[in-house]
Amino acid sequence: MSVLAPIICDNGTGYSKIGFAGNSDPSFVFPTAIATRGSSSQSSRAPAVPSKPGHLASKRGVEDLDFFIGDEALANAKTPGYGVHYPIRHGMIDNWDHMERYWEQTIFKYLRAEPEDHYFLLTEPPLNPPENREQTAEIFFESFNIKGLYIAVQAVLALAASWSSNRVTDRTLTGTVIDSGDGVTHVIPCAEGYVIGSAIKHIPIAGRDISQFVLNLMRERGEMAAVPPEDQLRVASKVKENYSYVCQDIVREFRKYDEEPLKYFERYEGEHTVTGRKYGVDVGYERFLAPEIFFNPEIYSSDFLTPLPEIVDDVIQQSPIDVRRGLYKNIVLSGGSTMFQYFGQRLKRDLKQIVDRRLDASALASGSTQKSSGVEVDVISHKRQRYAVWFGGSLLASLPEFYTSCHTKAQYDEIGPSICRRYQIFGSAT
Amino acid sequence: MILLEPQNVIIQTTLSEKIIKPSSLDVQFVDYDGVRFHLSTPEKKTVLLLSMHIRCWDELVKYGALDILRREYGALVATQVENEYNVSLEIDIEQVPADPEARDAFVMSIALFKRNALAAPFELGFKTQKELESSGGQGELMQIHYRDEEAIYIQASLDRVTVIFSTVFQDETDRIFGKVFLQEFVDARRQPSIQNAPQVLYSNRDPPLEIRHVPGLRNTEDVGYVTFVLFPRHFVNPSTASATISHIQLFRDYLHYHIKCSKAYMHSRMRHRVAEFQKVLNRAKTEVATGERKTVSGRTMVSR
Repeated sequence: MSVLAPIICDNGTGYSKIGFAGNSDPSFVFPTAIATRGSSSQSSRAPAVPSKPGHLASKRGVEDLDFFIGDEALANAKTPGYGVHYPIRHGMIDNWDHMERYWEQTIFKYLRAEPEDHYFLLTEPPLNPPENREQTAEIFFESFNIKGLYIAVQAVLALAASWSSNRVTDRTLTGTVIDSGDGVTHVIPCAEGYVIGSAIKHIPIAGRDISQFVLNLMRERGEMAAVPPEDQLRVASKVKENYSYVCQDIVREFRKYDEEPLKYFERYEGEHTVTGRKYGVDVGYERFLAPEIFFNPEIYSSDFLTPLPEIVDDVIQQSPIDVRRGLYKNIVLSGGSTMFQYFGQRLKRDLKQIVDRRLDASALASGSTQKSSGVEVDVISHKRQRYAVWFGGSLLASLPEFYTSCHTKAQYDEIGPSICRRYQIFGSAT
Repeated sequence: MILLEPQNVIIQTTLSEKIIKPSSLDVQFVDYDGVRFHLSTPEKKTVLLLSMHIRCWDELVKYGALDILRREYGALVATQVENEYNVSLEIDIEQVPADPEARDAFVMSIALFKRNALAAPFELGFKTQKELESSGGQGELMQIHYRDEEAIYIQASLDRVTVIFSTVFQDETDRIFGKVFLQEFVDARRQPSIQNAPQVLYSNRDPPLEIRHVPGLRNTEDVGYVTFVLFPRHFVNPSTASATISHIQLFRDYLHYHIKCSKAYMHSRMRHRVAEFQKVLNRAKTEVATGERKTVSGRTMVSR
């Protein structure tokens, strides 16, 4: 019998992306949430201890089986007796009890796969402590008896996903990844599949902030008056997803909108979730202002003021000098908040300006007549950006060499969990 | 979640989405026991092709799986089977009933594709038992090798249908858990509340009498045999019969799921214990002396 497709499990802080290798989209995308019996305030409540004698079945209840995950967990959040937990915080697994049970139901209820027949590819954030890898390996090999396991760094998978773009000619694992999800944006430099940990930077602006910013703008203009308060944030995020784009020149864009409002203003039609009453809002300047907070953060808040292109430049300047060219040449976008139209072009233009300015300045300072040939800057955007990490995993796991890079159950039994501290990088030999 | 559900969730969700918004599609996924599915739109967006590869297909066909699938899906069963797969369904989204309830029922019936295919030998067994009631004797011993090393044996006789599962545990720990579990199945039946449940017998290593003559049985320590004896009351009317089939098919997966759940439970108890011990250890730590330390001559020691 041919080997069954490996399972790709990308558990993020907000959402988990789960599916089988070889597909272009994950089979399931649901919140990384688990609703268990018992109040959510008691964080590490131990399960009940068996007390009564007799059969095993009567010795304890089935509390440890009584839980929901994903969308069902959120739907049951209000049910008395259940509390919702988020086992992953800031990309790292926080509560192993919950995570183990979360995986249990993911595999058996949603994927309907016998874990003993499958290889697994899991993802981890950059700078994940090796102890966490060991814990994960323990769960997967000892609880689930899986055939083999590979734990990949999310940024590297995002780089691999960019190979699907037709602009990529050489399949390299060197590049800068801009990963922007719901909570936080990371800028991660990778050299030959290894993350340069010391140069990673985080930006506290991501999807949630953009939605909030859109909401603020629309409230100020008085558009939100027609929208019921509980729907406002949802409407704002719909506006962000469906109508927003990145402009190249903010002043010209404003003028364009003022001259021909009918051409550029859009109308969003919604429906009250409870009463079913219809309402509509005009969508205007927020169309191009929303993603602008990456490039001019001062328009949103005064806490964080460095624009994204500058951060990217900083990150690359902090990386070792011999990989900088590769990092400028291959800037890869990943995550839902990088999906704005023209985002890539704008980032490329701004970054190019910064780089050229520095080259000119250094030429001037050296006083020599020789001029640098310039540094190539390129930002790659592709169709699979939203689930780029998952897609990269799916791509790599369908390669034949995936199986040789995995650690198998036999190796685990021989050496122990420490085997999972290190993994061979894909394609390093090619 | 105590029981596993018989339907495939991926088929269910994908199909419901595509009915609302047809788009081109090409996904491969699996179900228990090495069943592979391929859902695609080969020609146009509104016609979905769902193909299934199942390990024991030849055996299932022998026991009438095609008839059952034709009965369940009618014209949906495609005449042209996709390459590398055993059976295909052609679903035209435009033909799906518009009424929400009927639509849900339709989607559900498609999601039960694997269950229906695997139901054939059970239904045949139940039918044979009815026939034998008047004539007596024993039905044919049906073998379904649904996994590489494991099989289901079904035999109808005068007053009962016997279903035997052979199980192999890959892992040492699993074997011990499995043994306890299966023993518990046998013991739990003694409780007065579940006297109507089918009788369960468990034997380790030695195959039960019904299948002892079957060639090629493994006779090693890691093999176990679970025998279910289904009496006519378990399949007296169609709805009980179909519920019985849905449950008994998933027995192996149910067993393995619960072995894994008990391990997870053990692990959470272990983590709890370790946390408790750590607290004790932390309490036992001696306090660090913080007072000012002086030399004999009265000078203060300063750490740089």
